[in-house]
Amino acid sequence: MRNSFLRILVLALIISSLGVLSIYSSTYQKEGTPWQDIHKRQMLWVVIGLACFFIISQLNYRRLWDANYFIYGAAIFFLFLVFALGIIRLGAQRWLRFAWFNFQPSEFAKLAVIIFMARYFSRKSVDDTSLLSGKFGIFRGIILPFIFVAVPMFLIIEQPDLGSGLMLLLVFVFLLYLTNVRLKYIFTLIFILILPLPFFWHFLRDYQKQRLLVFLNPNIDPLGAGYTVIQSRIAIGSGGLFGRGWLSGTQSQLYFLPESHTDFIFATFSEQWGFLGSGLLLFMYYLIIRQGFIIAQRTQDSFGRLLAYGISLLLALQVFINIAMNMGLAPVVGLPLPLMSYGGSSILVTFIALGILVNIDRTRSVF
Amino acid sequence: MERKNILSFTIILMFGVLIAGLINLDLFHGARFRRLSDSNCIRLIAQSGARGNILDRNGNIIVDSKISYDVLILPQELSQIDRILEGVSRKSGIELNELKTAFRKNYFSSSIPVTVASNIDLKKAIQLGEYKLEEPSIIIQPRPLRHYPYGALASHVIGYVNEIDRWRLTKLEDYGYKTKDIVGFGGVEEKYDYYLRQEEGGLSVEVNHRGKFMRVLGFEPPRNGKDIQLTLDLQIQKIAEDSLSGRKGSIVLMDPQSGEVLALANYPNFNPAVFVNKRTRLIAGLFNNPDSPLINRAISSSYPPASVFKVAVASAGLELKKINLSTGFLCRGYTMVGARKFSCWDVHGGQDIISAIAHSCDIFFYKTGLLAGAQNIHDYALKLGLGRSLGFELPYETGGFVPSPLWRKMDKFRKWFDGDTANLSIGQGDCLVTPLQAANMMAVFANGGYLPSPYIIKAVDALDLSAKKKKMSRVAFRKSTFEIICRGLRAVVSDPRGTGNVLSGLGVAVAGKTGTAQVSRGATHAWFVGFFPYDKPKYVICVLLENGGPGHAATVIARQVIEAMIKQGLI
Repeated sequence: MRNSFLRILVLALIISSLGVLSIYSSTYQKEGTPWQDIHKRQMLWVVIGLACFFIISQLNYRRLWDANYFIYGAAIFFLFLVFALGIIRLGAQRWLRFAWFNFQPSEFAKLAVIIFMARYFSRKSVDDTSLLSGKFGIFRGIILPFIFVAVPMFLIIEQPDLGSGLMLLLVFVFLLYLTNVRLKYIFTLIFILILPLPFFWHFLRDYQKQRLLVFLNPNIDPLGAGYTVIQSRIAIGSGGLFGRGWLSGTQSQLYFLPESHTDFIFATFSEQWGFLGSGLLLFMYYLIIRQGFIIAQRTQDSFGRLLAYGISLLLALQVFINIAMNMGLAPVVGLPLPLMSYGGSSILVTFIALGILVNIDRTRSVF
Repeated sequence: MERKNILSFTIILMFGVLIAGLINLDLFHGARFRRLSDSNCIRLIAQSGARGNILDRNGNIIVDSKISYDVLILPQELSQIDRILEGVSRKSGIELNELKTAFRKNYFSSSIPVTVASNIDLKKAIQLGEYKLEEPSIIIQPRPLRHYPYGALASHVIGYVNEIDRWRLTKLEDYGYKTKDIVGFGGVEEKYDYYLRQEEGGLSVEVNHRGKFMRVLGFEPPRNGKDIQLTLDLQIQKIAEDSLSGRKGSIVLMDPQSGEVLALANYPNFNPAVFVNKRTRLIAGLFNNPDSPLINRAISSSYPPASVFKVAVASAGLELKKINLSTGFLCRGYTMVGARKFSCWDVHGGQDIISAIAHSCDIFFYKTGLLAGAQNIHDYALKLGLGRSLGFELPYETGGFVPSPLWRKMDKFRKWFDGDTANLSIGQGDCLVTPLQAANMMAVFANGGYLPSPYIIKAVDALDLSAKKKKMSRVAFRKSTFEIICRGLRAVVSDPRGTGNVLSGLGVAVAGKTGTAQVSRGATHAWFVGFFPYDKPKYVICVLLENGGPGHAATVIARQVIEAMIKQGLI
């Protein structure tokens, strides 16, 4: 039982250390003090994250059931606040300025929506493990929860942050699937969502349209929107089997790869450690996610189970979409790689989520 | 299957996709991406070495290289280019429009420096070097350029350098030649390009995404080309060219004892510097000039040898014992060959072999030729090195031509008549000889019976090649033959009525033969081929004036050359 705690802790620690190393290497040759500092800041965030991980793993996750509406409300509140007070960086309004750091509410909102979903579909009684969804019709089973998800999703997409918004939608669909909602309903939902896509095209921002077009063919704009994908593919590919070696990645260190310490940190890592390093990294991610699934499967409590699934899925989808976009297999959307990308909010939320996961496993045996 | 299992399976599938993507990028296309990555951040700044120098026999420089400066720009940020070019224009005084045009023309890709101005002088280069501190994307690159201290001197021997053409590129690609390489055209520059050619070195540097220099990765020093020493004597070459002074033709001087060519002058000539400075109008003028200044007349043009050929006819007659010292023919100004009347250029009266050579009597040689037979004349001419290429070291040598009855039958399906023999006997008809061949033939008589293989390359990279040259081959004539003909050649000058009498009284005894070649159009070609000093020949000289009038004109030029050589203490 303590096993899962230790396993997840060790894996998360290794991955986030690799993240710090990659951030350091990507800023290694860059001039100016802010660059030299960011790996230290990231280390600080990892330490804070670990603290949260330990604390959360001691707190009974059932409290989240009670705090659910508060958490959901807070998430919506912060997202609104972003509109009002948020600072604009990289052309998007995603951050809230706190004392000495910038907080990204959309990261928090992802976790909040998962908690909300788990709460929505499960019963309060710990002994009753069945899900509510069996009784739900199409309205209570699909439409109502969709509205609850759509509100934060819409707010996030309007920031604009298409990636995180769609991430919410994806987690929602996957969770619906797990709650035994009839497949017919799910497909209806997906159909309804896909049908107006051509219509939504006109609502996309110019840069989003361009990114999607560039995904289909990066070479249509090699110096503009396609540049990042091309450079990131070059970075990954140039690593070869063994990589170019620690601190020897020219793509990431000489600025050729933009966002080399945030969204494209996988390319930075892969350039230096090659196929073997990247394969190992993917394997570690897989182990964490698998651990999450194992925890979910052996949890009888439906709230805990859905929560564990939700957290694992959130991780899995973010890892998949981020790395796929690094390799040019998915369009470029602003999604961090959990545990590795530079950014306090993402690190913090991921460690909290892992803390909840560990706690679910720990608390389960108490009952 | 339960939904949770399907989900687990989906997750595994997702990671499978990622691993497949990694395999595709890293393992299947790794090498390509490694190259792309390198071309992103590695710039090669080429530095060319200097082409090898060309020296004369005493080590004096005929052609060398001097440093000029090029201005290159790393076009990393296209939006900045206009500003940078404005700066360059301000500092260097070159028109902005010129720079912009050059940039547009030479731009290849953002990773390759673009040459916007070349051949700027040192002062401007230093000013721009200071400006480089503000604009690091400017590169000032020293580049050695061909330098011709004597202008057009020996231009046909040297050749010129220019950008490689498509035809040469297809042939030389395998030897490491690239487009835009500077290679030699004509002369030593072309034939010995492989030795003269410099090896490009350079700096490989790492740059960041803005093209800003980060660090030096490696340096390969450029290597200069090998020097080539010629057998030419700069002093004699100058005398020869000055004497020719504007007359179309060619002067060759060679050492009869070794076959070394001491001077090889042609006119019209050209200044190879116009190709270095890219003076397009002048270059076009060279190519369009009807007098073909780029042709090396001494080896690439052949002319009817006229009376010069009589030396070969006399050899044939004497060797075959058809004539001897006491043979005499009467010259009445004409003779009948068959039904045709062949005339002499004068009425000489009774002539023996010595006086016939001295006076260049046609009647004597018509008769000697008819006695010897056309095929024999052809054979003896070939023994004296006529009629085929000498294997000279400069490109585009022509072999000349000596006709024969056999050739006439096989090639033309026509009969050979006695009239043709008579024509051949005085070096007219189809017979063609290059000035170098004429000089080479005369060398056989100067050195007493050895046919040299003339050469002009003395040493490559300080390695003396004279030992490796083809040995002179013995011409198996009787000693008396040489003696008689040499006496005749001497009489040409010493006899007061000799055709080359102008050359007497110089302080050096000259022997030789004049020639006046009739051509179908225009004035006759003038020949003088001889050697001096008569007792101990050191020089063979051949003067040819294209459409220069009678042989006397060439003899006068020869006199000028010999006089100047005496004055400069060369004899």
